[in-house]
Amino acid sequence: MKKILLACSSGMSTSLLVTKMEAHAASIGEEAKIWAVGQDQAKKEMADADVVLIGPQMSFLKGEFQKEAAKYGINVDVIDMMAYGLADGKKAYEQALKLMGDK
Amino acid sequence: MENIDLDTLTPEQINFMLILHSGNARSKIIQAIREYREGNVQEADSLLAQSEEDLKVAHEIHFKMVQKEASGEKVDFALLLMHAEDHLMSTLTMKELVKELLELFKQKNL
Repeated sequence: MKKILLACSSGMSTSLLVTKMEAHAASIGEEAKIWAVGQDQAKKEMADADVVLIGPQMSFLKGEFQKEAAKYGINVDVIDMMAYGLADGKKAYEQALKLMGDK
Repeated sequence: MENIDLDTLTPEQINFMLILHSGNARSKIIQAIREYREGNVQEADSLLAQSEEDLKVAHEIHFKMVQKEASGEKVDFALLLMHAEDHLMSTLTMKELVKELLELFKQKNL
């Protein structure tokens, strides 16, 4: 099962994106655990994830998060601007898969 | 994302767009401070200028929303809209403060 962690400063906008990503995963019959946390919890929560996507408000933390994520052998990236701006669950999900190396 | 036509977007998407551009600006503002700390003053100034461009886009979207409401079209109040407004206002505040502070630091040779 794919485990995708989203993080943004308070976790509100990403929670909405989570719902859309879950809906997309379900629609293509894939099992995924997708959840969103605020930036303070992200470093702890990434221990349970296969990939981390962060909101634009946090993009300055990408380097710091990548260092932490490297401990778990997972990738971190900023959510694609178009995916975020249009609240596109499908695009965000596909971005996550690509970062996971399509495991 | 130039000339965004609000009519092609859902209310949810409009709010996400506001958060996106405010968020991009916010990140650049923090990065500006970090660059300044490292002694990269020009980079800091450039990042602040870029953040102002992002805030301009957010402002344009917001302005169109205000115009729509003024012309009688009802705007749905949603938690997400509150969240987007918060992002925009707080980022504008950050930008103003950081701009002033960096000028202060330059003056004091800090």
